[in-house]
Amino acid sequence: MSLSTLTKDWEPMSYGFLDASAKREIRRKMLKAVAVPGCQMPYASREVPMARGWGTGGLQVSLTLINPKTTVKVIDQGADDSVNAASIRRFLSRVSGAPTTLDTLDADLIQSRHRIPEEKLREDQVLVLQVPNPEPLRPVQPNMSIARQMHADADYGRMWLQLYEQIVRSGRVMQGASYPSMVNGRHVMTPSPIPRWDVPKLHMAKHLTILSAGREKRIHAVPPYTRVEPLVFDDVPYKVEEHGDLTCFRSGAKGFFMNEIPQDDGSSTYEISDSEYGVKTIKQAEGTETAFGESWYQDGEMS
Amino acid sequence: MAYVATRGGERAIEQSERLFRSAMGEITEDRVAEIKKAMPYLIDRVMGEASLYDEDLAALALAQTGGELFEAVLVLRAWRTTQPRLHVAEPIGQDELFTHRRISAAFKDIPGGQVLGPTLDYSHRVLATEVLNGSTYAPEKVDAADKPSPAYQPSVAVWQAENDLLDLPERDETRPEDIPDVTREPLLFPSKRAHTLQSLARAETGGALALGYAAMRGYGQAHPTVNELRLAEAEITVTHPKGTQFSAGRVKVSQAEVVSKKGEKLELGFAATMGWNEVKCISAATLDLNSKGAEKGSATEEEFYLYHTEGVESSGFCIHFKLPHYVTFQSSLDAMRNAKAKKSPKPEPAE
Amino acid sequence: MTIAIEAPRLVKAAPLLTAQNVSKNYGDVQAVRNVSAEVFPGEVLGIVGESGSGKSTFLRMLNLEETPDAGTYTLDLPEVDGNLFELDRFARRMLCAKRIGIVYQNPHLGLLMKHSSSGNVAERLLVAGERRFSVLREKAQEALEASEFPIERLDAPPIELSGGMQQRVQLAKAIALEPALLLLDEPTTGLDVSVQALVLDTLKRLQQERKITMVIVSHDLGVIRTLADRVMVMRRGEVVEAGLADQIFQDPQHAYTQQLVHAKL
Ligand SMILES: Nc1ncnc2c1ncn2[C@@H]1O[C@H](COP(=O)(O)OP(=O)(O)O)[C@@H](O)[C@H]1O
Ligand SMILES: [Mg+2]
Repeated sequence: MSLSTLTKDWEPMSYGFLDASAKREIRRKMLKAVAVPGCQMPYASREVPMARGWGTGGLQVSLTLINPKTTVKVIDQGADDSVNAASIRRFLSRVSGAPTTLDTLDADLIQSRHRIPEEKLREDQVLVLQVPNPEPLRPVQPNMSIARQMHADADYGRMWLQLYEQIVRSGRVMQGASYPSMVNGRHVMTPSPIPRWDVPKLHMAKHLTILSAGREKRIHAVPPYTRVEPLVFDDVPYKVEEHGDLTCFRSGAKGFFMNEIPQDDGSSTYEISDSEYGVKTIKQAEGTETAFGESWYQDGEMS
Repeated sequence: MAYVATRGGERAIEQSERLFRSAMGEITEDRVAEIKKAMPYLIDRVMGEASLYDEDLAALALAQTGGELFEAVLVLRAWRTTQPRLHVAEPIGQDELFTHRRISAAFKDIPGGQVLGPTLDYSHRVLATEVLNGSTYAPEKVDAADKPSPAYQPSVAVWQAENDLLDLPERDETRPEDIPDVTREPLLFPSKRAHTLQSLARAETGGALALGYAAMRGYGQAHPTVNELRLAEAEITVTHPKGTQFSAGRVKVSQAEVVSKKGEKLELGFAATMGWNEVKCISAATLDLNSKGAEKGSATEEEFYLYHTEGVESSGFCIHFKLPHYVTFQSSLDAMRNAKAKKSPKPEPAE
Repeated sequence: MTIAIEAPRLVKAAPLLTAQNVSKNYGDVQAVRNVSAEVFPGEVLGIVGESGSGKSTFLRMLNLEETPDAGTYTLDLPEVDGNLFELDRFARRMLCAKRIGIVYQNPHLGLLMKHSSSGNVAERLLVAGERRFSVLREKAQEALEASEFPIERLDAPPIELSGGMQQRVQLAKAIALEPALLLLDEPTTGLDVSVQALVLDTLKRLQQERKITMVIVSHDLGVIRTLADRVMVMRRGEVVEAGLADQIFQDPQHAYTQQLVHAKL
């Protein structure tokens, strides 16, 4: 008997990069986050081989959830081939051996920055959203410790006041992405900088969403079948981006969130933001049999 | 096929990384050894910010990143965080530090004496351009003092406390293995003392200086006097499972104590880091000194300076703005256009 | 020294506000010493005393911003009972948001200077749970109008307004929810004499129209005389004399009060 027979060989890296203690902490914090929907749970947030602000929070969650059979999809601003999505996908697969996919329907785990795919997610799928700033109160209270207390007291007066002020000044709520939303009637959370278009997709969704901010060291979650209500006045309805009537110039897909592409003549053309949905639309048009999932929006309207 | 999804992204990032690395050429053991030998202060700075004491790994990180300091610290931290915590060394007192340099600005002379040690403080900062013309710059020989200064020195603050000039912080009897570790748990506020000191120890030097300097210039309540600054080596004493204590070697450490007058007593600010980094220690100690009672949101408030001197986070967030943000931009644009349309007297174009 | 003066009652009802033996120290400074007070519904209690006598500290405690070292405080309201100083942070916040209004001498303490004036008023309604934009606007406008605020400046931020206007925004905010208790800390100090009179007129009218129970603090006897039904005189943290306003002004008992009254006359 010797030390080498008693121990594993030294390896430069653990399975899935993070060591067991880091994963255990994240598992615990995810459970807490699921138990109190929308409430931010502080976690140690280890360094990973990517710069902070580049999805390290989402990455730590993905690395904790992943196993060799997890099929992973990674998107950035809706696109699978965006450089950072490519980089994260390559890293996840390299350290875990997990298969990757571009098709939302095939994915078990979707890590995303700033978008939720247009096809409805199922109960067996997990969405991991990268979060730059987990604190919806930051614009009204930059101090984290005070903001924490405000959440504890459900002290959201200032948050509402901000909306009031915007309407008074601009005639409408000016919040673009990251629309603050009440989760389960108790905690206001940021849904991460997804467009307003995507926020209703979280409401009573079948899937679990985990939102993780690596730099700010906070995890929050929207468990399946949980209320997510954008903060709006009773008499000023929530408005998603006016993309319902736009058509993708590449694929012809219509009624989804679009990227605007400015043209030389001063006009704009549009391309579907969920790039893989666009690819599937083209494939089908060309006669390739393609499976589509049900989409959240039909004819540009949330169904 | 009319449309082939461009998968150019993967190729592009691969090639851009190659381009970056090709500029540095081959990295060999020799290069790493040379960096370690030639740049001890840079190595120290990187080790301190990475909170990982390993000169070889630090030199490797510098070689691998071409000296892009934020990247070097990140690669070391990412390595460090996956390593198991095997053991916690015994605490060490100031009077047990093997001291190379120790100065006090508070007194002309202090018990134990001023020990100037290695420093560029009084050098004339003149570039040795002759080196570029082929001459070798050879350091002049050091003449040893007649009477070597003692390697172990008492603490100035302890002397001051004995003379009722200041109150030492209460002795913290937490067992070493129970000291909270900021690399394994989140930093929350009000911060645990251990977390504060650990965060300052790994603070980014430039960030600590910027905020510390702001306090020194008058955006703080207290003006620091350097009570004691030390460059030293600390013995790493570990305990064998059988109970025997032994030294696992020595690491370079630096620490600063700054004081300012508060009523009839002196108030103390403290910071220490791995490696020798005087600017960081003095700045960080100044922040510590100013922290008590600082207004929320001021530069000397704990939450403010601990968040904003975290180099891996601040640099990462800064460079993340290079990532595409067109979804968020599109979303704001929509709100802006809609608001503008509402205000403009023109009727909206027919659909 | 404590002087317990039994004040004759104006109204035969249970007091709305009862504070008993309230004390507060800041380090070595005894800001408030053993102060007791009762205020009946619809009544105005004036607190006078020189600067530093503990008036503002006492008022901050009545607004539950500050916790005393000793003493009790009750309000005869259906939603609370017991010593209010023992309420937790959340309950205090809700009680203050819904039932107590305050106007500070320094508008920076009471207002968000860069938000709209109507927003400052609306915030109170928001905290109390109002979620209809149109109602928020309507009620904010009503409260501002009642405070005689120039309504065309509804959405101007207080920072662009004069001192008198800022006090009117504070007042509108304080009365927006029809509070059970209105606290006023030197509401007119620092204003021009002419503006001071106008703001006092507004306060007086509001009090008469709405029968709001008020506690007004001032070092200015004139202000107290205009508004108060009863008066409490404070000096170095203590109550030296208390009684009906007329009684205090016409026949002050304590030497200090006599000095104050005569200096004023
Ligand atoms: N927050 C505080 N910290 C320390 N001392 C205070 C504080 N507030 C008031 N004081 C002190 O308490 C005493 C009473 O002050 P205050 O209640 O403001 O008097 P007044 O309103 O009658 O002028 C003064 O001596 C003042 O300096
Ligand atoms: Mg006062």
